[in-house]
Amino acid sequence: MLKFIIKRLLWMIPSLFAVSFLAFVLIQLPPGDFVTTYIATLASSNEVVDQNTAAALRERFGLDQSMLVQYLKWIWGILSRGDFGISFEWQQPVSGLIWERMALTLVLALASLLATWAIALPIGVYSAVKKYSIGDYAFTAFTFFGLSIPSFLLALVLMYVAAVEFGADVGGLFSPEYETAPWSIAKTLDLLSRLWLPVAILAVSSTASLIRVMRANMLDELPKPYVTTARAKGLSEFRLLIKYPLRIALNPFISTIAWLLPNLISGSVVVAIVLNLPTAAPLLLQALMAQDMYLAGAFVLLICALTLIGSLISDILLALVDPRIRLE
Amino acid sequence: MRDDENMSSGVTRRTFLAGVGGAVALSVAGGSASAAATKEAPQLAALVKDGKLPPLAERLPKNPMVVKPWEKIGTYGGTLRRGLRGSSDHNGILRMVGNQGLVRWNMDFTQALPNLAERWEVNADASQFTFYLLKGAKWSDGHPFTADDVVFAIEDVVKNKELYSSTPAQISVAGKPVVVEKIDDYTVKFTFAAANALYLENLATPLGQHPTLFAKHYCSKFLPKYNPNLDADVKAAGSSSWPDLFRAKCGDIEIPQRWGNAEKPVLDPWMIKEAYSGGATRVLMVRNPYFWQVDTEGNQLPYVDELNFGISQDVESLMLNVISGKIDIQERHINSLANKPTLSQNMKKGDYRLLSLVPSAAQQCSLYLNMTHKDPVLRKIFADKSFRQALSMGINRQEIIDIVYFGQSEGYQTGPRPGHPWYHEKLARQFTEFATDKANAMLDKAGLDKKNANGIRLRPDGQPLFFAVDVIPTLYPDLVDVLELVKAHWTKIGVSMKVNTIERALYYTRGDDNAHDAQVWPGPGGLDPMLDPRDFFAFHPQGSRYAIPWTLWYTSNGAKGEEPPESQKKRFKLYDEARSTADVDKRGAIMKQVFDIAAEEFEVMGICLAVGGFGVIRNNLRNVPEKQPDSWSWPNPGPALPQQFTFTS
Repeated sequence: MLKFIIKRLLWMIPSLFAVSFLAFVLIQLPPGDFVTTYIATLASSNEVVDQNTAAALRERFGLDQSMLVQYLKWIWGILSRGDFGISFEWQQPVSGLIWERMALTLVLALASLLATWAIALPIGVYSAVKKYSIGDYAFTAFTFFGLSIPSFLLALVLMYVAAVEFGADVGGLFSPEYETAPWSIAKTLDLLSRLWLPVAILAVSSTASLIRVMRANMLDELPKPYVTTARAKGLSEFRLLIKYPLRIALNPFISTIAWLLPNLISGSVVVAIVLNLPTAAPLLLQALMAQDMYLAGAFVLLICALTLIGSLISDILLALVDPRIRLE
Repeated sequence: MRDDENMSSGVTRRTFLAGVGGAVALSVAGGSASAAATKEAPQLAALVKDGKLPPLAERLPKNPMVVKPWEKIGTYGGTLRRGLRGSSDHNGILRMVGNQGLVRWNMDFTQALPNLAERWEVNADASQFTFYLLKGAKWSDGHPFTADDVVFAIEDVVKNKELYSSTPAQISVAGKPVVVEKIDDYTVKFTFAAANALYLENLATPLGQHPTLFAKHYCSKFLPKYNPNLDADVKAAGSSSWPDLFRAKCGDIEIPQRWGNAEKPVLDPWMIKEAYSGGATRVLMVRNPYFWQVDTEGNQLPYVDELNFGISQDVESLMLNVISGKIDIQERHINSLANKPTLSQNMKKGDYRLLSLVPSAAQQCSLYLNMTHKDPVLRKIFADKSFRQALSMGINRQEIIDIVYFGQSEGYQTGPRPGHPWYHEKLARQFTEFATDKANAMLDKAGLDKKNANGIRLRPDGQPLFFAVDVIPTLYPDLVDVLELVKAHWTKIGVSMKVNTIERALYYTRGDDNAHDAQVWPGPGGLDPMLDPRDFFAFHPQGSRYAIPWTLWYTSNGAKGEEPPESQKKRFKLYDEARSTADVDKRGAIMKQVFDIAAEEFEVMGICLAVGGFGVIRNNLRNVPEKQPDSWSWPNPGPALPQQFTFTS
């Protein structure tokens, strides 16, 4: 097991290099550069950038150098002094911009993950055990409903109802008075009181698919001989379910952890933008659109690192939970 | 509807004020209020009582600048809420707050008024400007604002090659930057290498704010000339170079960092409390206790305590905030035609009224055929004047106006808006009639008389006549609709066009590389023909899209680009002459010659007169002019003086 983990950790290093380089190239692939985009953005509100300023900007940001040189400079900064570079747009160190956002992103991601599991697991098991019951049909209908509504639309509708019908203050993760306050118990409570809306929206669609997966897996396991054997040995129906088929059926839940982490950052972009959440997603999108390379690159690098870590975690967990999997 | 008709057809620049509800102009009359009678905001009074702030009389100039409120004397208090986007929206703050140059615009966008300069003298050939500064005005940290600050800003900062690798175009004439000298503490002299008659107007635009942007006592700490230990400071701050540190601390006119440092002394009515930075979800500004303007009863401005700019990532959520009454004044981002019905319907619910904006633009959709195209055949066809005239007459403008612009416009080419003293009938109206037969006949005569099986005309080399028109759908969705209709109209005269919807950076890159067939953009020059004449001759290296190589030739004095035809060169000369003519009437006469040539050459094709914009104002926010010009040069609502906006309870 230990050998496996070390091997996997070592593999991560070249993977991260490859990924960071690819990301850097991809961000630069669209025509133009940060300065072009910057001028275009200002022009969209009919604002004018002095021509001389534009040329000076390009020179200052090193955009006149080749892509490889820019990449090597960036990666050397990260390796040698943990410096992720400067965001072109904000002229602030990238590291200062991303950490708080990443923290909030993880809070939201974990909360949505827990909510999804808490709803999907019991319902999936119930639907499988009580196949074709009224309850199963009702949940099935609900899940299809949940799957078919795009989450940004759900977010917009909920916001509209809350804002226009109830006059509630929606959007954002904090009330105005806590937005820039330092962390405190009151601020945490405020966060919790507002977290439910994005969590609910994000959970709806993923819950729906997980219920289906869970139901199908359970249905696969339930008719198997070991279940019949256990039942014949007099195990209570509830203990039997928990102890054997559920463990096996959990497999897809665990193996998806790897993509859950990055997915909750990139998959929630639209919802985060609509709800104005101060998470990583909107900042990443902005950075990509503005071709703010170092900022976008740092995000992509982090997301890749999370994916790699996530897949390691899910492999370890799988080995622990699923008796059929052996690492040696 | 009547209002809109008025706006699109009849607001003159000179009578614009009368059109604004017959109200009185915001006027400035120095010296009518004595400092002894002045009053201040309650919080400031409390600070004075506690000894934390000098009394008002010591904070204000002896003769503070007096502003006549738009409707009535206001009351102190309140937080004004407005929306920003999360990216590159720093100018949303500039438009509200950063309007404190040496001079400022009047309400009708025709004349520069005194501001931080109480008065000025201009020499006969408009190459020397002497400004007399407002005596006793102070920066927001209480330090006096003097001639030293102005000289420092230009001579030490803007003319510093390491900070500005080339001098901003605003202050450089005939290739040489301005020279600024201190005459005494409150007098500065600007000397240009040649005449610069538009300088006062330029000073009133946002790009003219440099002289009052940098406080010497603060910003000199970040210049090597004044701070021998700067290298150590740069390291300590973690900056990569001193210019980076300077920009982070002192900002520049239009970069986000201008609003990123709460310590920087300013001359604005409000100062930063919570900065605009990459991670911010809002920007908060609080009143400047040393602001140097008072109302006619001697009350120190601003009336409103705080500005709260919420940062939205998404326009829809901004719209929701407007509808539910959580925004006090907004026009940026929400003022698309598509949003107007929603905003009109919800006026009662959101408790707001509509603000109407007079576009400074001339044209809703200028069509630029690339006359310097890389393909020699297309270049020759596009360069043929009668081809362009035929295309123009092949467009059914009324249909476009009815379908896309709800009937709110009229057929138009380009030039100053109707009612403007320089309005040019021929430039504006020629070839706007819809005449398919005439157009067909002209195209036949132009040598494009052979057609293929689909009825598309053939070029001299036998290829079908086809070109793409670039448009940015995310930026101007209406222009996509316009082009779709134009495409249908042109098919009828045997011209095949593709509506090429592309991303905006690609749009610019194609233009920069001269790789486009044709592009569209709203055409400026309606109220600001001197400031942005890009549709009258090849003036703008990115905006005059019918011949970008010509503009490069013009801006680089012949070093780059491609030599333009004589008629362009003549206009360059005339425009340079107009720019150095102080007398407005003489300047108008010169510009008329430019318009005559532009009308004759017919390089740019227009669809219809730019349609008026709008915004919303909450009903309890008063002193806001409900009709304003809409322009970057008149950065609305700034010149309407937000410092005298006030809330009724």
